[in-house]
Amino acid sequence: MATLPQLLEEDIQRLDGILTEYLDRSDAATALIIDKGGFLITHQGDARRFDLTTIAALASGAYLANQTIANLVHEENFDSVYQQGDKFSMFVTNIDEHCLLMVIFPSKTGVGVVKYHATEARKQIAAQLQAAQDRDPENGLDLSVLNLADPSELFRRKG
Amino acid sequence: MAIINQATKELQVKIVYYGPAMCGKTTNLVQVHDHVQTQAGNKGKLVSLATSSDRTLFFDFLPIEAMSIKGFKTKFQLYTVPGQVIYNTTRQLVLRGVDGIVFCADSQYEKMQENMESFQNLQDNLKALKLNLDEIPYVIQYNKRDLPNVAPVEYMDFLLNNREVQVPSFTAAAHKCEGVFETLNMITRMLLHKYVNQGRPQYA
Repeated sequence: MATLPQLLEEDIQRLDGILTEYLDRSDAATALIIDKGGFLITHQGDARRFDLTTIAALASGAYLANQTIANLVHEENFDSVYQQGDKFSMFVTNIDEHCLLMVIFPSKTGVGVVKYHATEARKQIAAQLQAAQDRDPENGLDLSVLNLADPSELFRRKG
Repeated sequence: MAIINQATKELQVKIVYYGPAMCGKTTNLVQVHDHVQTQAGNKGKLVSLATSSDRTLFFDFLPIEAMSIKGFKTKFQLYTVPGQVIYNTTRQLVLRGVDGIVFCADSQYEKMQENMESFQNLQDNLKALKLNLDEIPYVIQYNKRDLPNVAPVEYMDFLLNNREVQVPSFTAAAHKCEGVFETLNMITRMLLHKYVNQGRPQYA
């Protein structure tokens, strides 16, 4: 399986900038870029009201489940998933092979505007991810800074 | 594959508990959730997408942050898969992006066939994702050792861990939290050593 590119600080700043601009235009509450494996890459907007780590894991699972359903009805993919709620609604759309854009927005905000501006945002996000992909892939992070002197203590049982 | 975010100095790793139906995968996560010692805010909610009879339908999910790693926030996302044979598509979805695997086997004699089928199913599903079990850190847990009709560990090693280089295996009675943390700590150690030794992450 191919992997995501290295994302440096400048990439994250650029992605955050795209999300911020998107939130301004769409009137959505929170926008997340999530990996299809379930990881939250970055987010902007209201994070206090939502457990974004869990939402990212569930949203990617739900999106992939819908992708499988699409194949079963002879569609290549359902590109987007929209869930309507009373207070908040959710919209998830594909960015590229690895990533999804997820938007949480007040239900009084029309889904049309959320979808419309998402089209441009996902193009910009995909372009930034591609730029990162084209950068020197060998330029990685030195993980020796991880302190593994006593790895038996990674997780301890209480009491 | 793991995500390393250089901007926030965060490492995110996905561990999947795999195994036949009713072998104790969800019980492992419940015990970790109930007994792990963490600093405030480092343990997320245990989310279970289960049927009304508590059988896992999609997956269980538990995010936790490891202690004692300096310089990095190291977040582990623990998943289980549904063990029932019919949910194979779901198992494939959950395996996407996996970094490490705990294969949870039921130690009862009559479950050996199911254990072996599930282990083969794991390899088949990884292959469908263009992954290879030999390249993914994994450990085996022989669960339910407190039951009377269990097979000897040597026999289970012969069936499930019969390779040139054996992977670490642990006996457990997950519902009593025995062997749960030993298993989790080993797979996390293996994962972190893999990333440190590789020198560079796959992506960040």
